[in-house]
Amino acid sequence: MGISESFQSIIRKQVRSALVVFFLLTILTGIIYPLVVTGIAQMIFPTQANGNLIVHDGKVAGSALIGQPFTSPGYFWGRPSSTSPAPYNAGLSSGSNLGPSNPALISAVKARAEILHAADPGNTLPIPVDLVTSSGSGLDPDISVAAANYQVSRIARERNLSESDVSALVARQTQNRQFGLLGESRVNVLKLNLALDDMSSHLITVTPSAGQREVPPPLVFGLRMTEWIQLILFFIVLAALIVPIGGFMAKVYSGERTFLTPITGPVEKWILSASGVSGSEEMDWKMFAVAMMIFSVIGIAVVFVLQMAQQILPLNPAGVGPASWDLSLNTAVSFATNTNWQAYAGEAGVSYLTQMIGLAVQNFISAAVGMAVLIAFIYGFSRRSATTIGNFWVLLIRSVMILLPLCTIIALILVSQGTVQTFSGPVTVPLLDPVKDNSGALVTTQSIPLGPAASQIAIKQLGTNGGGFFNANSAHPFENPTPFANFLEVLAILIIPTALCYTFGKMIGSARKGIAILIAMTLIFAPLVGMTIWSEVSGNPAFTPLGIDQTPTLFQPGGNMEGKEVRFGVVQSAFFAVVTTVTSCGAVNSMHDSYMPLGGFVQMFDMQIGEVVFGGVGSGLYTMLIFVILAMFIAGLMVGRTPELYGKKIEPYEMTLTTIHILIPIFLILGLTTVAVLTDTGRSAILNPGPHGFSEILYAFSSASQNNGSAFGGLSANSVFYNLTTALAMFVGRYAVAIITLALAGSFVAKKIVPVTDGTLRDHRPLFIVWLVFVVIVVGALSFLPALSLGPVVEHLSMVAGGVIHG
Amino acid sequence: MVEHTGGRMLSEKQYSLYKRALIDAFLKLDPRTLYRNVVMFTVEIGSVITSLLWVQALGGHGEAPAGFIGAIAAWLWFTVLFANFAEALAEGRGKAQAESLRKMRQDTEAKKLYLGYEIEKGREPAPTDFIKVSSSTLHRSDFFYVRAGDIIPVDGEVVEGVASVNESAITGESAPVIRESGGERSAVTGGTVILSDWLIIRASANPGEGFLDHMISLIEGAKRQKTPNEIALNILLIGLTAVFIVVCASLYAFSLYSVKAAGAGVPVTVTVLIALFVCLAPTTIGGLLSAIGIAGMDRLIRRNVITTSGRAIEAAGDVDVLLLDKTGTITLGNRQAVDLKPVDGTDIMELAETAQLASLADETPEGRSIVVLVKEKYGLRGRTVGASESVPEMQFIPFSSHTRMSGVDHGDVHIRKGAADAIFAHIQEQGNSISDQLKQEVNVIAGAGGTPLVVTKNGKALGVIYLKDIVKGGIKERFAQLRRMGIKTIMITGDNRLTAATIAAEAGVDDFLAEATPESKLKLIREYQAGGRMVAMTGDGTNDAPALAQADVAVAMNTGTQPAREAANMIDLESNPTKLIEIVEIGKQLLMTRGALTTFSITNDLAKYFFIIPAAFASTYPALAALNILGLHNPILSAVIFNALIIIALIPLALHGVAYRPMTAEEALRKNILIYGIGGVIAPFIGIKIIDMLLVFIGV
Repeated sequence: MGISESFQSIIRKQVRSALVVFFLLTILTGIIYPLVVTGIAQMIFPTQANGNLIVHDGKVAGSALIGQPFTSPGYFWGRPSSTSPAPYNAGLSSGSNLGPSNPALISAVKARAEILHAADPGNTLPIPVDLVTSSGSGLDPDISVAAANYQVSRIARERNLSESDVSALVARQTQNRQFGLLGESRVNVLKLNLALDDMSSHLITVTPSAGQREVPPPLVFGLRMTEWIQLILFFIVLAALIVPIGGFMAKVYSGERTFLTPITGPVEKWILSASGVSGSEEMDWKMFAVAMMIFSVIGIAVVFVLQMAQQILPLNPAGVGPASWDLSLNTAVSFATNTNWQAYAGEAGVSYLTQMIGLAVQNFISAAVGMAVLIAFIYGFSRRSATTIGNFWVLLIRSVMILLPLCTIIALILVSQGTVQTFSGPVTVPLLDPVKDNSGALVTTQSIPLGPAASQIAIKQLGTNGGGFFNANSAHPFENPTPFANFLEVLAILIIPTALCYTFGKMIGSARKGIAILIAMTLIFAPLVGMTIWSEVSGNPAFTPLGIDQTPTLFQPGGNMEGKEVRFGVVQSAFFAVVTTVTSCGAVNSMHDSYMPLGGFVQMFDMQIGEVVFGGVGSGLYTMLIFVILAMFIAGLMVGRTPELYGKKIEPYEMTLTTIHILIPIFLILGLTTVAVLTDTGRSAILNPGPHGFSEILYAFSSASQNNGSAFGGLSANSVFYNLTTALAMFVGRYAVAIITLALAGSFVAKKIVPVTDGTLRDHRPLFIVWLVFVVIVVGALSFLPALSLGPVVEHLSMVAGGVIHG
Repeated sequence: MVEHTGGRMLSEKQYSLYKRALIDAFLKLDPRTLYRNVVMFTVEIGSVITSLLWVQALGGHGEAPAGFIGAIAAWLWFTVLFANFAEALAEGRGKAQAESLRKMRQDTEAKKLYLGYEIEKGREPAPTDFIKVSSSTLHRSDFFYVRAGDIIPVDGEVVEGVASVNESAITGESAPVIRESGGERSAVTGGTVILSDWLIIRASANPGEGFLDHMISLIEGAKRQKTPNEIALNILLIGLTAVFIVVCASLYAFSLYSVKAAGAGVPVTVTVLIALFVCLAPTTIGGLLSAIGIAGMDRLIRRNVITTSGRAIEAAGDVDVLLLDKTGTITLGNRQAVDLKPVDGTDIMELAETAQLASLADETPEGRSIVVLVKEKYGLRGRTVGASESVPEMQFIPFSSHTRMSGVDHGDVHIRKGAADAIFAHIQEQGNSISDQLKQEVNVIAGAGGTPLVVTKNGKALGVIYLKDIVKGGIKERFAQLRRMGIKTIMITGDNRLTAATIAAEAGVDDFLAEATPESKLKLIREYQAGGRMVAMTGDGTNDAPALAQADVAVAMNTGTQPAREAANMIDLESNPTKLIEIVEIGKQLLMTRGALTTFSITNDLAKYFFIIPAAFASTYPALAALNILGLHNPILSAVIFNALIIIALIPLALHGVAYRPMTAEEALRKNILIYGIGGVIAPFIGIKIIDMLLVFIGV
């Protein structure tokens, strides 16, 4: 009786703390943070924050970032768009999600090529690939320079202009690579057509310059030099940030003074004292887990209620209705678990209020929970013969205090690039070239959704959440407007997971141990990036017979452009795809469903190896450490000692937890995929035929179980079946694994630390790093190769063999 | 300990060993026992299912040709049998040894002393003092009496008497040993035989709990419990097995889907899925794991070390501090004369001759070494010890603890040798003074870590004999190896710091504990353990017991006292203090073997995917055939056969352990990854291809 009474009072105390902390963090991250970002953005970048609207002839003619449909032969045509019901429907951004071997894709591309030929029969140039493949967002404002040039002869004829004048106009409208380096050179179609109209009306004149002669760019190991420079520059910048940010985090968690302490210190103290938590009060692992679960369940409940009631709550300028109960549950679990699987469309499914105080808050706190669990796990190694692993509330709040300042900076830079940040509702702009929708009705306007996007995108990337403000996620021009924005977003995804490795090393007293893990992660990462880029740059062999040019040149990105945006091109899209799948971020800047089979293989494998390269914030490293335990267990045996890691003996109890930790996602992915393929409900959600359809289901459960959140978007996941099964996968994949991690921390923390001798296997030396890489890959391969071989592997082999899969 | 009998009837014994193991392999198919080995148990379930499918196929309704299913089923059964055979073989070797021990444990007659019997020093009990009872009725603390020719009925501690005892049954050492009350030679073991004299013994064990019983049960494995590391590894293997069950089960569903999606082919058969599962499951390590553990214990027994728990063997692999007694382990048991230093103008030859005379009758190793020195260095032929007959007037004065001198009286010549302080007193007694040169020589030798023995003739010092501890040959290299393995060696000695430091430097130990007392040993162990280190030590005396109990690996000499043996977790029947190093090596070897075979078992799987997946789904997705890079004709059957045969092929490795030589952790890992990791990836490609070619050759 006495025990249960005290247990009840402990629980009651934790619930009280959880409610207060949750409330205060919601105010902080859900209201103060977006308001501050909006205020500054509206002050410094009013044009960008409000959608980069183009004012032409004194009227708003559209957004410079949102493409418009053009079908008249007298206008330059943009990328094919797969939005519905009409192309370039800004109200529901999306890609086609057609798989590379899907006959529907091949015939669509063929049909587009035929239309281009019919409109300009004399043009025998090969068609640039971006002109016949639909973009990831369906709103791509750009085409490649090659695609514009291809259309010059048609435009000149239709408009009775000289080809050289039109060419000169294209040259004038060409945007070079950002800073001469990032992204692709490209032409904004709306602006080009507006200028074209001006030129036809003699409002402007252009001086024909010397015709652009195409010089074949030197390819270095298969890539254009600029792409190598972009990639290398990225890693230099990332590497330069790891030590300062990692060291900063170590200081914050240790309670040491940093340059931000004057601001964050009082906030931390205030939240703690308001919630009745004493900062010095330590928790054992069970109490830590209880606090984490109470806090997370509250978060799930709040997001659930917010969605069910959003139509009667304020800040809903678009008048979005309530979500279904299963979708609400799915979304609530999805955001609380740092997965951000989105079965809803951001533009149409959630109100600004839900985005801000529901989803954006979860973005912060789900990331912070992951970081708190990691730090507790680190205490398990760094402390000796202890019982406690830190205080959940302290670690949680400190994590938020790390994320908030970084997010503010990132959000503002994104706004400067064109990411919207406003509380205004959608703006309606006229279409320059009205278009018919699927039902044949004429569409003359485009409704462009706005919103407080930048503040949410910063945390979606930094917290490896991945939940987009808009449906097309980071492929959407408002989420990811420029190549530099893209550079920053990828950096934001990677910085915390990588820097945490350094933090880890610092906290266990040996920075090189942390660096060793980082190197192991990078060794897994690099070939996966290489494989994806190679596969995407090579393009789709099925397009070659159609007279489509997929070669990367100065004027076009080339490669497999289906589902990709011109401003990023193939390489930066492929790089983003690998980064987002290895880190459990799940944001996408291109449609994964439309990747070549090997690209899709890599994306799935990234998730299936456990999201350990570099993984989600906190969760990536703690899961990697689980693999380090496994690798060390076997390696330790091979050197003739009962294995120990960082001086802590690995005994049956730890091995049991480690094994279960590794088994949970494997069981979830394979088990739920089995259920889905065996049921009609499961199968009916598939878009693409053949093995690619199987990949869509396998991808969905890999993504949910590993808390990634990206998808093969073709799968119609908003059904009761998928909402519930993926919610289950996300919940168990997150919390069961986190609780086991805490239990391990509780077990390790009680052990003494065995001193290092020559008989100790050095866990930071190259040999062990390679062994760790091997163990991670082998465990992933053994568990998933059979399934993958029935999905992307066989799709790839069939495409190599020249066959299109029968549907 | 059975090495000496094992050698003689090798082949016959081996034959029966194999025969027994073969029978046991079948008996072990009993699921009621096999379920403990989860990996092999699942394989057995697979064997049963495929056998049933085979019967069904024979009836004409099979999912695949009966020949194929039958072959798979047969090889799955072989897989289980091979694993059982390995375990049975490992157990069998122990059983044979236990058998010979058990013969000694027969009921013997014991002479139990009456309750009121009063032990008197030197008095042998009369027949009226005891009653003859069965040994099985003797309990702890009962007193009993044994005399020449008796078998000691139970373990005990000598409380009175001195006797020579034949312990060869336990130690394999045929020379009799002395057992006496008090001191470090008071423990006796049931089953050994009194050769001379008599003893009064207090029983130290209840029936069935004696040392012999304990050894038998250990060897037989009746009480063999899985060690912590074995349990941990087993959990990992169960986890892997579970993964592969899920992988194979889900593959059935995926196959159904694929057939529907591709509109071609037939779903994968249950037989193929079970074959795939068995190939992937860690059968190699799963089948050999218990054999490795049993064989590890067996290797210790062959080196005449008995462990009280398997845990101690694993701990031995982790030891990073070795406490080694100087005497007997680091140095030869005794000091040796290495030089003669004449003083006060004495002729060197006179000193040599005098030293020789003084030592002729000295049968101690030190004395003998003096005789050897003068013979080799000064050409003086040793006179036989029987010199007392040829030179009848010589009268030898033996060493006594009272005078601390020995010597010879030869007419009116009185020769003495002894420790410096004793001799100094002797000289002064004779009215002579001690020269500065003598003092200096004594100090120089002592300062160098040696022992000076002063030689006098008629109360006048002639010179000093330099006795030195001789470090065992090769011991320095041994310690260097240990250092590379990360093991710190600490010499324990009762010598003073100066002497200890000299020997320590010469032997190359890392540290030493001089003027060691039981308390200082215990303290040292606790300090190291507080720093997280694992400490191993040997000991034999009762005063070692606390330190032995504290050490992580404690090896007691079989000649040691009962408290020492009880405090230890290993007993060295040969009482060889160097054994500790071997024990550490065996512990490491045991763990390495587990790690190596686990790695091999897992890396093997990668290759098998390449063979089985294309074959399993060939009808649905012919494009997958591109993965069949070796162009196999019977990939599935070949893989299953390979999987079974590899267990047989690795039995010797499991029983003997991986080749071990001292090296750093990094070197060991590199070597084992190269052999068992990379080898594990490559081996199945070669093995399966060969099997496939053979199958084609015989027309399958």
